[in-house]
Amino acid sequence: MSLPTLRRGELVRVALFLLAAAAVLLLPRLISDFRAQQYAYVGIYLIALLGLNVLTGFTGQISLGHGAFMAIGGYTTAILISDSDPALKIGSHVFSNDLKDLWTIPLAGLVAGLAGFLFGFPALRLTGLYLALATFAVAVATPAVIKKFEAFTGGGGGIQLFGLEGLTATPKTDPITFESTEGVTILGFEITTFNDWLYYLSWAIAIVMFAVAWALLRGRMGRAFRAVRDSELAAASSGVNLARYKTLAFGISAFYAGVAGSLLAIATTFVNPDTFPITLSIFLLVGVVVGGLGSLWPLVLGAVFIQFLPLWAQQLNGPLPDSLGPLSVPNFQAPGAPAVVYGVILILVMLALPGGAAGLVRRAQSLATRGYDRVR
Amino acid sequence: MRRPRLVLSMLMLAGAIATGATAASGADPGISAKTILLGGTSPLSGPASAYASVARGADAYFKYLNARGGVNGRTIAYKYVDDAYNPAQTVQATRQLVEQDKVFAVFNSLGTEHNVATRDYLNQQKVPQLFVASGATTFGRDHRRYPYTIGFQPSYQAEGWIYGTYLARTKPGARIAVLFQNDDYGKDLMTGLRQGIARSKVKIVAAQGYEVTATDVQSQIAKLKASGANTLALFATPKFAIQGYVFANRLGWRPLVFNNAVSSASNIMTLASEGNTNKAVENSVSIAFLKDPTDPKWRTDAAMRLYRSVLAKYARGANAKDVYHVYGMAVAHETARVLKATGKNPTRAALVAQLRKLNDASNPFLLPGIAIKTSGTERFPIEQALLQRWSKGSWQSFGGLWGYRAG
Amino acid sequence: MAAFFQQIVAGLATGAIYASLALALVLIHRATGVINFAQGEMAMFTTYIAWTLTANHGFSYWPAFAVTLLFAFALGLGLQRIVIRPIERGPILTTVIVTIGLVLIFNGAAGWIWSAEVRAFPSPFPNDTWNIGGVAISVQDVGTFGVVVVLVLLLAAFFRFTKIGLALRASALNPEASRLVGVRVGWMLGIGWGLAAVLGAVAGMLAAPTIFLDPNLMQAILIYSFAAAVLGGIDSPLGAVAGGLLLGVGLNLIGAYVDFVGADLRLPVALLIILVVLLVRPAGLFGKPVTRRV
Repeated sequence: MSLPTLRRGELVRVALFLLAAAAVLLLPRLISDFRAQQYAYVGIYLIALLGLNVLTGFTGQISLGHGAFMAIGGYTTAILISDSDPALKIGSHVFSNDLKDLWTIPLAGLVAGLAGFLFGFPALRLTGLYLALATFAVAVATPAVIKKFEAFTGGGGGIQLFGLEGLTATPKTDPITFESTEGVTILGFEITTFNDWLYYLSWAIAIVMFAVAWALLRGRMGRAFRAVRDSELAAASSGVNLARYKTLAFGISAFYAGVAGSLLAIATTFVNPDTFPITLSIFLLVGVVVGGLGSLWPLVLGAVFIQFLPLWAQQLNGPLPDSLGPLSVPNFQAPGAPAVVYGVILILVMLALPGGAAGLVRRAQSLATRGYDRVR
Repeated sequence: MRRPRLVLSMLMLAGAIATGATAASGADPGISAKTILLGGTSPLSGPASAYASVARGADAYFKYLNARGGVNGRTIAYKYVDDAYNPAQTVQATRQLVEQDKVFAVFNSLGTEHNVATRDYLNQQKVPQLFVASGATTFGRDHRRYPYTIGFQPSYQAEGWIYGTYLARTKPGARIAVLFQNDDYGKDLMTGLRQGIARSKVKIVAAQGYEVTATDVQSQIAKLKASGANTLALFATPKFAIQGYVFANRLGWRPLVFNNAVSSASNIMTLASEGNTNKAVENSVSIAFLKDPTDPKWRTDAAMRLYRSVLAKYARGANAKDVYHVYGMAVAHETARVLKATGKNPTRAALVAQLRKLNDASNPFLLPGIAIKTSGTERFPIEQALLQRWSKGSWQSFGGLWGYRAG
Repeated sequence: MAAFFQQIVAGLATGAIYASLALALVLIHRATGVINFAQGEMAMFTTYIAWTLTANHGFSYWPAFAVTLLFAFALGLGLQRIVIRPIERGPILTTVIVTIGLVLIFNGAAGWIWSAEVRAFPSPFPNDTWNIGGVAISVQDVGTFGVVVVLVLLLAAFFRFTKIGLALRASALNPEASRLVGVRVGWMLGIGWGLAAVLGAVAGMLAAPTIFLDPNLMQAILIYSFAAAVLGGIDSPLGAVAGGLLLGVGLNLIGAYVDFVGADLRLPVALLIILVVLLVRPAGLFGKPVTRRV
């Protein structure tokens, strides 16, 4: 693919993007070590949301099953770097520290992408809610299928990745001072803690994949995707090959999900069927809709939403129990309350901002330009 | 040293001192002048939310102790966080507890895979993984590799072994059918059962698994009955164990039933007896190591009166009939005792050293005679249980204490 | 041989429960064009209402049943008017997300109000079992089957022979034309949701005596009910019931006699059925294939 030529208005956007990227990469210096890990997860979800948005926001195909593609990516990485006991094997090959984790990330993406692409073929026959149901079915079935093929996936017990040689920057931090005793050096920079390493890894990849998504979507492919979303009939009659672009959309979005899943495995250092439940797929869709279908920037807000809102809703149960006396907050300890809060907020957001955060931005923009027009 | 980090550390230290939960110089994290901070995960939401009572019971008991001055002048703060029974969330939440909240120890986290997922991390960080709320054998068996980890309840394997051995002794011609949950918990029980019947004429003639995602186990029970077994082992969680009884009764099957301890609380058995129309529950056998709050035997027992008053005062709305609250108090009681034994300035190393020599026969929430005991080579705190038989609406224990020493 | 028939009987019993919730799914889709992911949780929540009436407020079974149905109708109607109406003209994804929000709310609320403890639920049918040729058939299961059959007949009659049923079908098919002939489309959609909630409540109250009540009562059932609805035809009440029964019996037989599947893969098999049916004959066994004219 030749370097895309930039139109003038886009130069500003590129400059803003580079500025934002720089800010993101500098953030760990300013926040606590643990927050860096939480924001690393935001970066991981962002990658998955980018992919899902290509499929759902730009091509109009609803997927309630992207957790399954994340699972494929996560397990690919886990199997390739695993050194489990009993050893995992397919046929006669025993998997044992085959690869370093970083090399497995693109591989995981490719495996998941291939799976998505293949799924795209039968999915051609499904639209709207039927596609949602079918992808929902795939996501619900995935943990059970993973569990069944035990020799290959470690079954219900999963695959433990902590401390393996294949894992870069295995946490070896002093438990009191949290200084790492063995860091990672990249291009002369030393990253001393596991959390920082996770942050830089996921956001570096997220930034690159963001740029790639933007480049893909602003060109012919993006126009074809949008045509399919707006009206398949019109698109087909103007010569857009529906089959090709729909399967491509599935493949690309699954690739992104696979990379995200791979990073998730590396970050959590553990995979088992329950780490990719149906709620993951559902929250990915929530993140895309809350961020804004058909936009890229606001997906960051979507990722922040799905990472932090559950934690924040739990805070309602009181951060510390009463035993701290006057310094503690009232302790509701109500089971189920956080879920209710999350659900209510979700519905309110949908009612108030059906276009998600992107819709809010668009409305603000149109208000601003309207004011400008009136002045003129 | 990087400046921002230094500034940040100072800020964190200042903030932490204000909330009284930080590492003062020299002391381990989680120990302050006035508090010991323990943290753990619990399935407050999701498919296993019925087991959240384990954490609530422990929390209530700590509050009760704190009102009486705490342990060696410090109050015990117990922060438990929801992991929705998803191991990935357990990992994240546990890391948060260790790295952000700086807990002294991770305590009473529930779930087998969930604790396995965090075990390597915690041991490497030298954070005690105290009294894991799971009966999986690995938590006691693998202590040489994971010295910071310890379980609490009798292992599932031990429990299965007790059933098998009892059967081999009293009903040598028994043919057993097993309903088991298709995960480590169910399989551990099966392993123990097989060990128990190993050198006898008792045979497992049928075994049917079910997934947690099943709607009901009618098909499995039908198949088990068709095997002609005269004994049924229910290695299932409460909802499915109850269904086991219901469907066995409907099929007109009256085997001798062994119901596992996770599902044998009196309120569960009462549900299974379907208003006394279900005769399959009669003469069921199970093990017990906790005092059952609905057992009339303990109505005037001092410990159970304490239990009810502690729940009423510090866990408003909690159901006193739920035996998992009793478990929580039992484990909290032992924790307080161990913390006290570590002295005026508890350290993680001192705590772990205590775990090698637990020796307590006076836990008021355990059945009389059951002791908590570990040694350098033996790390299953409770390996004793009483057999009990369900008769006319309550459990009656019989025989002496059973002990099991895992290899 | 008796064992084989026992599996079939067990399958019909389980299948009837799938069918009852599938009827609610079909009704909502037929009346409003929406797939309501929260149908199961609403059913569970209304079942809890019935439970608390009988257990905590001294109602006997049938009054509690009636009050619960009224409550369910009001709940469904209210949800449609307040939460769904603002977004029904928007993209379908918004509605999907809103129903997902409802799942969280109802599940959380049930745990909040009544805790996650397992509860017994009363049944109008006696706890007896008939023994016919070595096969045990429980009266509870027969009763459930009977109620489902009556429901599907009532529903079919409702759609075919009553004015409201006609208005409901018209509103779903062509809201604009319906408005032109004077149908209050908005209220029709609300009634559709209300009736679906009622069906869901019945499903919950049929399932709970056997499976026992806890906040996760309907979660697994919902998935199988989706499979049943898709298999039978997502717009056909008869199809929903047929699909449910076929699914129940089929899964039992496959699970009992195909070792590879066993218990582990019953759910994936059900979901595979969804996929295959959607691909090969999306209208399901009893639905009318929809053709699009270009």
